[in-house]
Amino acid sequence: MKILALVGTNAKFSYNRILLKYMKKHFRQMADIEIYEISKLPPFSVDVPLAEQTEVWKLKQKVKAADGVIFSTPEYDHGIPAALKSAVEWLSYHTNVLSHKPTMVVGVSYGRQASARSQVQMRQILVSPDCDTNLLPGNEVLIGNASHSFSKDGRLLDPQMRDNLEDCFTHFVEYIQIFEKVNKEGLDMSVKQPTISEAYINFPTGRLTLKEVQQIFSTIPFEIDLIDSTDHFAWFSDKPNREHVRNVASLGETVQECHPPMAVPTVMKIINSFRNGEKDVVTRPLWMNGHRSLIQYYALRDINGHYLGTIEFTGSVEYILNLFENGAWGTDGNTSASKHDEPANDGAEEESVDASTGASESSDDGNAEPTSSTVATPALAPTVDAAESDATTGASDAGSVDANDEEADATTGASEN
Amino acid sequence: MKIAAIAGSNANHSYNRMLLEFMARHFSDDDIDVIDIRQVPMFNENYKGKIPEVVADIDRRVSSADAVIIASPEYNHSITSALKSVVEWLSYEVHPLEDKPVMIIGASTHDQGSSRSQVQLRDILISPGVNAYIFQNEEFFMSDAANIIDDNGNITNEMTIHFLEKCVREFKRYAKAINQMVAEKKEAGKQ
Repeated sequence: MKILALVGTNAKFSYNRILLKYMKKHFRQMADIEIYEISKLPPFSVDVPLAEQTEVWKLKQKVKAADGVIFSTPEYDHGIPAALKSAVEWLSYHTNVLSHKPTMVVGVSYGRQASARSQVQMRQILVSPDCDTNLLPGNEVLIGNASHSFSKDGRLLDPQMRDNLEDCFTHFVEYIQIFEKVNKEGLDMSVKQPTISEAYINFPTGRLTLKEVQQIFSTIPFEIDLIDSTDHFAWFSDKPNREHVRNVASLGETVQECHPPMAVPTVMKIINSFRNGEKDVVTRPLWMNGHRSLIQYYALRDINGHYLGTIEFTGSVEYILNLFENGAWGTDGNTSASKHDEPANDGAEEESVDASTGASESSDDGNAEPTSSTVATPALAPTVDAAESDATTGASDAGSVDANDEEADATTGASEN
Repeated sequence: MKIAAIAGSNANHSYNRMLLEFMARHFSDDDIDVIDIRQVPMFNENYKGKIPEVVADIDRRVSSADAVIIASPEYNHSITSALKSVVEWLSYEVHPLEDKPVMIIGASTHDQGSSRSQVQLRDILISPGVNAYIFQNEEFFMSDAANIIDDNGNITNEMTIHFLEKCVREFKRYAKAINQMVAEKKEAGKQ
């Protein structure tokens, strides 16, 4: 279970931060608590361009991916700090990430009142229609007398307070589980089973069960993401160890929602060039997660050429490059006289065996299957579009290989940050 | 009467600021100083050095006023973070709202007319760090502000203007009484 915990102040020293750190450690068997610092956020204003607020976008993604959110609030003038209110305003402005999200309010203060009033206010805010969270009722965590309640190394000392905190947090976990059951449909997706596993699809070239389709996508060494024709993130292949880590919570988001704001113009440029038929493929070689990778964006079209969406095709090319660098294709790669070459090295044993059909080298002799014409686009030698690469990162030196992790990701971009 | 009028929104287009600017024009016998909070930074207790100049300026203007009017919008059933930030600045190093008579008003484009944020603001302004005197006899909530305030920032509804005049009249009476009481209290403290 993933829980996001917001430190409700921008102050450098805060007992509310200490409380959350204590909870993170104390409840590590029950949940993975990520602590978020609201001081990273700009002050909320309707006049600052939302499209440039990368931190706000990151926070929204975190909230979306979390099963529940905890707000730990101090009390300033009987209320929650302006900095915390600002964070909530961002989370309820042109977004519904908090909608139906299980939330919990806790708080620490120096005095005896233990932030009780600001917690009441926080609860009121969290159930306002703009936030519309599933607030955990009751379960008040009111820790007063902060400087005596915690040890120097941040442990909650009072056994009664500790018992209460354990009770309340356990109730929060149970509360989250209740809503997870309600959202069974969402859960079905997150366990990653095709919905009708017995069904199969008849392609012109053969029959595949849904399970086979699923496992093919999980097995091929490239990952695939799909933005549909209405610019919504529709699907991603369930490949283990993906270069871009995706979350089912992002499915259905618009291109604008699922990308870091700065990347959106570049991504839209690629997608629009596909939609209006200007381009069919954009290729970006780059370093990802410490290895050489290739991202290729393909326009997905029906047989009449109508735009169906954009595929992002991503994978490490280390293996292929190593084969190449070790001479796997020999030296006469430009001629067609290679069929009877000796394998160039011991890494090339895959070359001559075609386990599926036994057709071996004859499969590339023009004896094309009916479907091959529709997949001709990927077979074209994709040209590396230096201008696109630049536009993505803003780098000015044309053609340089982009080793920057912050690159645009035309499908969701959720992973690189 | 010299009245500092704080517009509780940092949005460029704000019916609450327009409402106060209308009042400054309409109540020409009084000196209503409309305070724009758009440039106020987010409150932070670790702010280095003196309070920001923009806050010091608000401090001076509020301190020198006989009374204060705050116009509060409502975000999420609550006052804006921008207004809360101003109150936090004004209850940290400086305390110009202490013992100051304050009237809370508000405008909103919805039916509730910022009523909930006004209730919250009352509670905030009577906290020990702020310690203002809140006028409670009349409540001014303007709902449907987009149809009541025209493009020139004038209130188009006569009834609304009449009620606003009544509120201000009563508030000034209240403010006089409070200021007199506070002056007597200070005088008594000296002796």
